[in-house]
Amino acid sequence: MERRQALKSLVVGAATTMLPTTESIAAFMLQEIDSLAENKALFDKALLNNPKLIGFQGTHQEFSKTRLTIEGTIPKDIKGNFYRNGAALFERGQQRYQHLFEGDGMIQDFHFNNGEIYHRGKFVKTHKYQQEQQVGKFLYSGPDSRVANSLPVSTPETINTANTNIIPVNGELWALWEAGSPVAISKEDLSTLEYVNLGKNSDYGNTLKGLAFSAHPKVEANGDIWNFGMSHTGHIVLYQLNAKGITRNVNLIKTSYRGGMLHDFLITHKHILLILPSLEKNNTTSGFFNAIEFNDALPMQVLVVDKATLTLKKCFDLPSGFAFHYGNAWEESDGSIHFDASLYSSVDVLHHMNTLMKGLNPTSLSTAKTTLFTLKPNGTVQHDYIGENSEFPRINETKVGLRNHELYTIGSTETMLWNDTISNYHVSNGKIQQYIYGKDFLVEEHIAVSPTNKEGEGYLLGTALHVPSKRTCLNIFDVKELSNGPVCRAWLPYHIPLGFHGNFVATT
Amino acid sequence: MKIKLTIATTLLTLSANVFSHSLQLEIREVKSNQGKILAQLFKGESNYQANKPMMAQQSMAKEGTLILTFSNLENGEYAIRYFHDENSDNQLATNLIGIPTEGYGYSNNAKGNFGPAKYQDMKVSIVDSDVITHSTVIY
Repeated sequence: MERRQALKSLVVGAATTMLPTTESIAAFMLQEIDSLAENKALFDKALLNNPKLIGFQGTHQEFSKTRLTIEGTIPKDIKGNFYRNGAALFERGQQRYQHLFEGDGMIQDFHFNNGEIYHRGKFVKTHKYQQEQQVGKFLYSGPDSRVANSLPVSTPETINTANTNIIPVNGELWALWEAGSPVAISKEDLSTLEYVNLGKNSDYGNTLKGLAFSAHPKVEANGDIWNFGMSHTGHIVLYQLNAKGITRNVNLIKTSYRGGMLHDFLITHKHILLILPSLEKNNTTSGFFNAIEFNDALPMQVLVVDKATLTLKKCFDLPSGFAFHYGNAWEESDGSIHFDASLYSSVDVLHHMNTLMKGLNPTSLSTAKTTLFTLKPNGTVQHDYIGENSEFPRINETKVGLRNHELYTIGSTETMLWNDTISNYHVSNGKIQQYIYGKDFLVEEHIAVSPTNKEGEGYLLGTALHVPSKRTCLNIFDVKELSNGPVCRAWLPYHIPLGFHGNFVATT
Repeated sequence: MKIKLTIATTLLTLSANVFSHSLQLEIREVKSNQGKILAQLFKGESNYQANKPMMAQQSMAKEGTLILTFSNLENGEYAIRYFHDENSDNQLATNLIGIPTEGYGYSNNAKGNFGPAKYQDMKVSIVDSDVITHSTVIY
């Protein structure tokens, strides 16, 4: 109880603050200009000449259970479901969103059963989705999209699209977003259950209701779920939940970060790493994502937080940079901390997702390089680039917070529009394995599935959209022979919108 | 004498009229019978901004719709804000960063947008007659 009072004393806004965001967004949201119809017209025109854009067209259709056509043999030891989430509905009426991150979330489920694979897909039935579905048009402005006469937003849940990631928690699935609560989803039929009140069944009660719970929680080997949530004030909420999703510990870290974008974080066995990229909001620019700018003069900052107390222990300045995603962090006995990043030298990629929604090709786009950082106890920092064109880094899940050797990423080799290559970097010996899908494919995040729970064993699994046939395929690679191509490819008879993140849930 | 009496009667009538109006707030979609509804009435924008309520009302919560009445009001501009005090601690419960976790609302069914409702959206004017306004609770 005392702890909660102490936390409350950190509160910067009065009860009437109601929603953490900047005044510039509020002012922006109230503008009555509607450019969404123009956006749709641009995209539709571009789609006629560029078939690859079907990956970003979105869908209104849900997908009922469909058996996939198999090429090769499905490994018998893969048992369970591969769930993915992503923004999937971008258009209502004759309007189209401005940014890829704004679409309503859709859950894709690939179920492995007795030598067969089935696919189904369902929208997350958020408050926003249901209301807009009922009237067949957008009712709420998005972060970048201005909807004329849009409805007011009272809480984050009003516009929570639950579109970024999906994790298993205590027999359910949680669909995650950046700025609001998890949304519980039924494993049985992918139906939407409720917004998760993170303080429920804990001492925190309603004090966590409506707080941001970001889309990249880290699950430790003991099942503990670690995560953060960011508010516009620069306060970052840190969470430790047990394996059943019950909150054990929460704290607020006060920072002066005003970059607007903090997407991912890391843990070691002792610490949490909050890595604040070199971003700042330009309050004279309209839109939320659109107003985020890279500032070369700002260092990337790493806040090292003690997991036992959730308090800040140390702060490191890195050279300027930006990353959406990190693979893993681990710590040596002398206190040196290692971590990797898919590191950008600008924030162009965020704005690229705006031009993509208009159907425009990137003219020049800086890509991320796989970069290894070492934070030394004496305060010094080292970094090494180990690979080009890297995004969506993943590791074997048993290694979260512990020393990993393998790092799986996707990247672009033959086309800049999206990804077409998967890689496995051995971060200890520098060996690289790659498989290039080629320019006919738009490749999504690939994840490690290890039936033996050992790093370097098992499979890499991920989806790709085959543009000429307008079909999505699920691809299974042997992690030891990635370069040989997939050992099994399961074809959907249709394509699904390109998404963001997902996880495999093994059947025991 | 007759003139004086007439003037006095007129003044009395006027004063009775000016101060005898009521402002009724119909609160809709109360989600449970738990706790109570606490409401504050403000006269004019300056008092609202200064957080100086003119009077307060409370009622046991009732699932569905309930009505609060503020009486004996003179002509003028008013605004009401209220919340559903489910745990009956007389405070609007909030989460760690100050976002309300109990239901709340405003006269004229005003809604906030990334913040509290604006006074201009909440205000109701009394001009020589009773006024009824409604509001749907925001949970």
